[in-house]
Amino acid sequence: MEITSFLPPDIIRMIVSAVVIISFVFLNAMVMTYAERKLAGHFQRRPGPMEVGSHGLLQVIVDGLKLIGKQLILPKDVDRPLFRLAPLLAFIPVVLPFIVIPFSEKLQVADLNIGLIFILAISSLNGMAVLIAGWSSNNKYSLFGALRSVAQNIAYEIPILLVVLTVALMANTFSLKGLVEAQSGMWFILLQPVAFIIYFIAGLAETNRAPFDLSEAESELTAGFHTEYSGMGFSLFFLGEYANMFVVCSIATILFLGGWHGIPLPFLEYTGVFWFLLKVYALLFVMIWCRWTYPRVRFDQLMNLAWKYLIPFSLVNFIITAIVLVIVKL
Amino acid sequence: MKSETNTQQNQSFTLNMGPQHPSTHGVLQVILEMDGEYVLDPQPVLGYIHRMHEKMGESRPCRKFLPNTGRMDYVCALPFNHGYVGLIERAAGIEVPPRAEYIRVITSELNRVASHLLWLGAFLLDLGAFTPIMYSFDDREQILDILEEITGSRLTYCYFRPGGVYQDISDKFIEGTRAFIKRMRSRFSIYEKLVATNIIFIKRAEGVGVISPDMARRYGVTGPLLRGSGISYDIRKQEPYSVYSDFDFDVPVGENGDSLDRYKVRVQEMEQSLRIIEQALDKLPEGPYLGKAPKKIKLPPGDSSFSVEAARGELAYYLVGDGSEIPYRLKIRVPSYSNLSVLPELGRGILLADLVTIMGSFDLVIPEIDR
Amino acid sequence: MKSMNQFVDALKRLSVQISEVDYDRRGYHLEVSMADNQVREFAKAMLDNEFYLVFVTANHVKPAIEVVYQFAHFSTPCRVCARACVAEGEKISTISDIFHGADWHERETKDFFGVNFEGHPNLKPLLLAEDDADLKPLLKSEKMLKNVEEIRWQGEKPAKPAAAGKQAEQKAEQS
Repeated sequence: MEITSFLPPDIIRMIVSAVVIISFVFLNAMVMTYAERKLAGHFQRRPGPMEVGSHGLLQVIVDGLKLIGKQLILPKDVDRPLFRLAPLLAFIPVVLPFIVIPFSEKLQVADLNIGLIFILAISSLNGMAVLIAGWSSNNKYSLFGALRSVAQNIAYEIPILLVVLTVALMANTFSLKGLVEAQSGMWFILLQPVAFIIYFIAGLAETNRAPFDLSEAESELTAGFHTEYSGMGFSLFFLGEYANMFVVCSIATILFLGGWHGIPLPFLEYTGVFWFLLKVYALLFVMIWCRWTYPRVRFDQLMNLAWKYLIPFSLVNFIITAIVLVIVKL
Repeated sequence: MKSETNTQQNQSFTLNMGPQHPSTHGVLQVILEMDGEYVLDPQPVLGYIHRMHEKMGESRPCRKFLPNTGRMDYVCALPFNHGYVGLIERAAGIEVPPRAEYIRVITSELNRVASHLLWLGAFLLDLGAFTPIMYSFDDREQILDILEEITGSRLTYCYFRPGGVYQDISDKFIEGTRAFIKRMRSRFSIYEKLVATNIIFIKRAEGVGVISPDMARRYGVTGPLLRGSGISYDIRKQEPYSVYSDFDFDVPVGENGDSLDRYKVRVQEMEQSLRIIEQALDKLPEGPYLGKAPKKIKLPPGDSSFSVEAARGELAYYLVGDGSEIPYRLKIRVPSYSNLSVLPELGRGILLADLVTIMGSFDLVIPEIDR
Repeated sequence: MKSMNQFVDALKRLSVQISEVDYDRRGYHLEVSMADNQVREFAKAMLDNEFYLVFVTANHVKPAIEVVYQFAHFSTPCRVCARACVAEGEKISTISDIFHGADWHERETKDFFGVNFEGHPNLKPLLLAEDDADLKPLLKSEKMLKNVEEIRWQGEKPAKPAAAGKQAEQKAEQS
């Protein structure tokens, strides 16, 4: 109460939400790391982490401590400022979208009326971070990874944008809250199944997840753009990747799966959060499933998929939607 | 990694792949002349794990070289054992009891299956699929357990002796092998579902690294690579050594000679190996497992050669004796050496990812190449 | 599918010495010895007859280093072992432009024996390090070096070589 007396409530709100968001990003990365390793283990008919804690539950914390304790190696001839800046740049754009994500009807930091555009704009910055990381490492493999990543991000942002526009056209808003509210009757996945599939494939590519993990293809590029990073530099990229996956999946949930809508549970006030997270983590499960099942596509195949299939399909889908909407309104 | 050799005119640059690189499977270095994502000229650099096995073979009595043979191709060591003891027996005229020959065939074929399984996992790992290697290692582990039971080691076997084998196989071995055959047969459908019907895998492997029969001949390519190109050449059929002529088995061949065909050939070869093992177990004769061979084997003057079908192709030993125990000249022709020499021609103007696919499909074992 | 006799006939035209040997004891079917200037001609004939190169190596004996070529055929069981002598300091023609696989085998032979292959495009050390180029590890010391007669096949079992010799004579008569 003391603090609130001389600070405007907005600032308090901002500080609290920043802390909550950043803790959530870290928590999410921990959960995802554990889930990924455990699921990968079971997909491969082995138990996964079992040693530290019950069923390896504490493994993630131990690994995190190890990464923090590791020396940050600066290889010779790297571009020092850029090399240090890149992991931070990779981390920031994946945290910012959390501001506009409506976890439930009430749980949202800020409902921007251009929320969707904001997220798309911010997440494009990720490509920049990867490019800086690859360029400053002074390593050909890193540069390869960075170039691939940028080309991939540009190619796949187009189908994402077209699909998102299609949905925005139907809901007639760019506000994420508005988009969810528009689905109170029927989820858009039922009206726009093609759009959902395109979004999900492009989302996999946008987050550089297998089978589209070309920028860090270990059998070709050792570790791609983060070859030279160690310790926390590496783990920031790692955190960023998981946060990015969460953002992509939550947008998919907001756009297609009805956001926080679900069967209302009487005993909880924020049942929306439960349903929202359930849907997001279900999608994340599918992402992990894909990664441990499929081989990696080749770079030209990846590009072909975007330019020859996803973009035309999403464009046609967009036009048809527009026409149908006009006819229905008439 | 500074691009000192960067030539400004054609904008190409040099990329060092290896000797520490996840997909060169050991210490192979390939110097790539690149134009963007395209490889213009891959040049393998050998010798990082060169141990001069031939010199060792020429400086000690022929019996004492046996452990070395298991250390060239450690993934498929028993055919290397087989070729060497076969050579000594041929040169010195040592008779081998039939039971020993059958045991040799059974263990060699088990080792071939193990080698192909390891390749299966490693190849798919090169293509970015992480899961198949766990499945194939699971199966391979069974073979290693079975072989450990009688050979005493899991990888660098030294089980064969001139005139027979080190020890007789046990009932436990026979039961274990039969159980493994049953298990392995049920696993092929899993691999089929997990890998062979996967559209991404097919698109990655189809038409990549096509070796024509003519190219194979010019380079001396043998083994599954050659059979993938549609030439039915298998030394077990062509020049049957040991007791391979007693068994009924097919030589699987591909059609196009691409990486996909090499995959198919190897998987079918595993099935054929299981057939051979099964027949050998059924026909296994009684009798001694180690024939009479002198303790000090004198190699008569003259040269002799012995070729076996190792998991990667033709393994030829060439020996010149001078009447003493110590070989005067011992040449070891390893399959991957000739197989890899195709790479500079095959890898021109392809994508980097395809180069990885091709090298994966070659099933390279670098210590074997460098010897 | 060609038979072995056809190959023998084809090779006879090259005026190289050719003889059939006992496969069970030697592991190959045809033994060829040729002069060092016949190597390319011989290799071309082998390529025309659809042989593939198994290996190229050498053997250090008195009076000269022997270069050994082994060829085999994909469809006919016929393994050919050919030898050519090259005196120390002399050169022998490369076959790496005929059989491309010989490229590495010849480089290896240069590494181990110091045999110079004339016309080889890239005779750099392959298995040995660049600074070990003069090591020539497989050359025998003076004490170990044997005469070429001492390491020739003498046929310790009198019955078999005689039969093989007869066969060869018969073949010669047929041709």
